[in-house]
Amino acid sequence: MTQLLRRLAFYLLSAWVSLTVNFLIPRFAPGDPASALQLRFQGRLEPEALEAMKRAFGYVDAPLFEQYLSYLAALGRGDLGVSVSYFPAPVSAVIADGLLWTVFLSGVSVLVSFALGSLVGAILAFRRGSLLDAALPPVLTFLGAFPYFWLAMLLLYTFGFKLDWLPVRHAYADHLEPKFGWEFATSALRHAFLPGLSIVLTSIGAWVLSMRSNLLATLAEDYVQLAVAKGLSPARVLFRYAVRSAILPSVTGFGMALGFVLSGSLLAEIVFSYPGQGYLLYQAVKNQDYPLMQGVFLSITLAVLLANFLVDVASFALDPRLRR
Amino acid sequence: MLALGLLGCGRERPRFEPGVAVVLPTQSATWVRNFNPFLPTQARWPTPSGIYEPLLIYHTLEQRYVPWLATGYRWEQDNRALVMTIRRGVKFSDGTPMGPDDVTFTWQLMKEHPALDSTGMAKRLASITSSGDEVTFLFAEAFVPGLYFVAQAPIVPKHVWQSVADPVKFANETPVATGPFTEVRSFKPQVYELGKNPHYWQPGRPHLDAVRVPAFAGNEQASLAMIRGDIDWGAIFIPAIERLFRAKDPAHRGYAFQQVEGTVMLYAQTTRPPLDDAEVRKALSLGIDRARIVRIAMQGYTRPADASGLSDFYRRFHDRAQVAALGDWTRYDPEAAGRLLDERGIRLGPDGRRHLPDGSFFQLDLNCVVGWSDWVIAAELVTQGLEALGITAKLRTYDFGAWFSKLQRGDFQLSLGWSTGGPSLYTFYGRQMSSSSLRPLGQAAEYNWQRFASPEADRLFAELIKTADTAEEQRLSRELVRVFVETAPAIPLFPGPAFGQYNSRRIEGFPTDEAPYVALAPYKIPGFLLALVELRPRGMPRRPDVLGVLGGPSTSPSSSPAASSEGAR
Repeated sequence: MTQLLRRLAFYLLSAWVSLTVNFLIPRFAPGDPASALQLRFQGRLEPEALEAMKRAFGYVDAPLFEQYLSYLAALGRGDLGVSVSYFPAPVSAVIADGLLWTVFLSGVSVLVSFALGSLVGAILAFRRGSLLDAALPPVLTFLGAFPYFWLAMLLLYTFGFKLDWLPVRHAYADHLEPKFGWEFATSALRHAFLPGLSIVLTSIGAWVLSMRSNLLATLAEDYVQLAVAKGLSPARVLFRYAVRSAILPSVTGFGMALGFVLSGSLLAEIVFSYPGQGYLLYQAVKNQDYPLMQGVFLSITLAVLLANFLVDVASFALDPRLRR
Repeated sequence: MLALGLLGCGRERPRFEPGVAVVLPTQSATWVRNFNPFLPTQARWPTPSGIYEPLLIYHTLEQRYVPWLATGYRWEQDNRALVMTIRRGVKFSDGTPMGPDDVTFTWQLMKEHPALDSTGMAKRLASITSSGDEVTFLFAEAFVPGLYFVAQAPIVPKHVWQSVADPVKFANETPVATGPFTEVRSFKPQVYELGKNPHYWQPGRPHLDAVRVPAFAGNEQASLAMIRGDIDWGAIFIPAIERLFRAKDPAHRGYAFQQVEGTVMLYAQTTRPPLDDAEVRKALSLGIDRARIVRIAMQGYTRPADASGLSDFYRRFHDRAQVAALGDWTRYDPEAAGRLLDERGIRLGPDGRRHLPDGSFFQLDLNCVVGWSDWVIAAELVTQGLEALGITAKLRTYDFGAWFSKLQRGDFQLSLGWSTGGPSLYTFYGRQMSSSSLRPLGQAAEYNWQRFASPEADRLFAELIKTADTAEEQRLSRELVRVFVETAPAIPLFPGPAFGQYNSRRIEGFPTDEAPYVALAPYKIPGFLLALVELRPRGMPRRPDVLGVLGGPSTSPSSSPAASSEGAR
């Protein structure tokens, strides 16, 4: 328990450090918000109007430290500021909607990829030397080495455009209202299928290979040999004895992957026009929308920290050595 | 996942209701609900003209004003007072009548909040008063070019906006307005839909029940949807558009590239020798193969500019014969360019490079923006042309912020740049060669980045802003064209195209090649309003429009042979 509390303290410290970095990085990036505004208006705004807009956006020329204090104070109130590119919408409102779809799309994809990949990896390790074991890993490595963008475009073009089997854009059909119900749910699943498939295809190989090599090492361990000698069923040996310890490195990796769910689906969202927050981040950076950028980074940071904390908890449950 | 996929398989065509047009005027990854009409790029299409409406619409192709919420205008008090007659019988979408009070209130609002005054016109007004059906805009000094900006500002209802605490930050999620589409039927980050105004003042219009606007993260997705036929009216950059888009269904599909945007210019910073010499600037211009730039960088979607720099937005002042008579230095003629440079003492050395009279290399840096691929290709072709003249020319690309800051401060030798302005040449040429737009080097200038002022042009501008007489305006404008061609304040490359595509399989009434009644581009504020009330589901009879022709600038095409709408295809 004290171990867990110690980890918690560490995460709080990390959160503070990342909040500070989050504040500093956009301010040290080249360019400035004023010229980004100019870019958006391209000479259509008179100078006086531009000045007034800047004031409305809350651009201040205060010293960095003062900006930092007011940033922390606002965060404490849960106020992420006003987005410049979506003025006057508050950042929290802009992010909230995208966050939901991103969590759905890449959360499910990462889970599927991890579960399916680990399972396949376990089977391959158990049937090592079989035809399947010889054929599958190279294919998966090959898929994983594909540039993501290209693979996604290929899927979109083949299944969406040429064959016309699946929708190629958006999170659900344009004529539907988001609500609980069969029609909406199937529409959302249909729309998530191609982007989800592209994420799974490119990431599954790593899970398979890591599980396979871990399990191969574990299967050679004495306690596994003992379990086999006791005459336990192969499935029981595999899942209760071997996989439980072989999966530990994968769980750590899964924690990292979960954390990157929020940022990692950027490309999928661009290719499939999926209304998530990956593309928001891209736009925020392009428009030098500091508040939005900070908000998106903040949600990513917190997600990574939270995921790692959950992994710690899971490791405690899986690995008795840690509980000592 | 596989099982889910099987469950999801089977075709799901986008569902189209007969009266709903799918429009793609701009691209954005996601929509945020904001129908505040005063912020030009923050507002959701079609807020400033579609949800809200202007008093008059400047018709770019016909070069005249179309009466809208006002039925007419006139100038009084030595052209200081602009009097607008407000249309009777117009109602806001909540059923309350619109009147002169709403007009004066809107302008007071812009005066109080400079952030809303994006055209800077409210600050030029001494007062806005109404009496009867008329509203009088009294300018502090006579400023006839202000008509365009006063005419086209959106009019908001006083009874709603007077209780808004901060109109700059007001997102106006449920607009009350006079336009054809005011009812937000649905608003989601990936798509929104506006239903028709139940109290619209043009009887029987709009013909459509609603317009639907989807969000697209990238141009590829948008092009794909347009090509597939999922979009009825779009503004998408599609390469090889004839083959990729129109050829799929030539009977229903069409597109246009009307050359009515500002002209893309090559700016030379004119304060330092040898670029302070108009003849040297003209020599650079003669070395540029614009036909090649248009073909390669712009895919043939526009045409080479001439020395006046006027796009079709200024058709009524554009007389090619005049420009040719003055000596058009935008033709491609490297030999003439070489002769001009020789005359100025910038001669070819034995190394094949040109040297300035003091013996140093004639070196020029050309600035452009990273990632604006059409501009970068154009700039590359410009440097090739200059190199062929023996000038040592280098292309330098910068991030937008760095590029724009250099441009504004005058910290450049050559730079690509846009040009802007209203329909009066006072605004267009005024931003190129008036001393009032001149800022000291090092200070950020909004316009006139090249730092050029012509005393002769200043005198013409002073007269031009005071005259509301079209014949006099024509005379002064011709003079301004002459000054521009003689002094070469900027080197015009090509007019910017306004692009649009339509698919009339489900919706008809688009401006076509045969009847281009307005520019096809669905983002051209406020002209597209004319199309918005005209579009109808295929097969529905067209109801006649109620608007007459307003007096004012002549409707006949100017004497220019270029006046035909050659942009429309």
